[in-house]
Amino acid sequence: MMARNPDSRNVVEFADFISRRRAKGTALAALVFLIIQGILHPVFRTDGYAQSGPRSYMWAVNAALLLALILPAGGLIWGRRVRELVNDDVSRANARTAAAAAFWLAMAIALGLYALPLSRAMTAHQAIYLIVMPTTGLAPLVFAWLESRALRDG
Amino acid sequence: MGDELHNRLREERARRDLTQAQLAELVGVSRKTINTVENGIFVPSTVLALRLAKALGTTVEKLFQLR
Repeated sequence: MMARNPDSRNVVEFADFISRRRAKGTALAALVFLIIQGILHPVFRTDGYAQSGPRSYMWAVNAALLLALILPAGGLIWGRRVRELVNDDVSRANARTAAAAAFWLAMAIALGLYALPLSRAMTAHQAIYLIVMPTTGLAPLVFAWLESRALRDG
Repeated sequence: MGDELHNRLREERARRDLTQAQLAELVGVSRKTINTVENGIFVPSTVLALRLAKALGTTVEKLFQLR
């Protein structure tokens, strides 16, 4: 048996804490993003809300930040050992599964938009929004759910 | 094909009176990894399986079986 080191046990427990916090934070961020987009739907407004200026691309910045949450970069500020534990094989597999789920949703929406007769014309910007917004919301939600399941005691 | 991977990780860990965090520390992985292997959610790599077996003083064949 290898020697047990109390300090390394603390690292394991701390990494567990960071992983739980990341799962909750990721789910919360994704839900807030989806709710805000559902309320504001900036790309489809005709009142000039997001026709120009920062508001016209802020949703895309938010989407990019959300996607960054499933990159294996958690625990970045806590040192190499904690980072390795937080972004272990399980988390990397969970991130891949989340990305695959988002890919298939994106394909389904894109094919749907192409195949379904639209009642009104849609700009490329609006079509991209319809594909990117739900998929960037889905990926972190799936990741958070998989991480929570992995962390669940028992 | 169609074989299912079963493991005795929980039993072997309990037999040595180790918590998931303690075994994780011994093996050098996260508690999340131990938990997901025990629950059959995550199939460990060969390297991890060997490290788990070594930490628990057993063999990979006794720890993991195809059924």
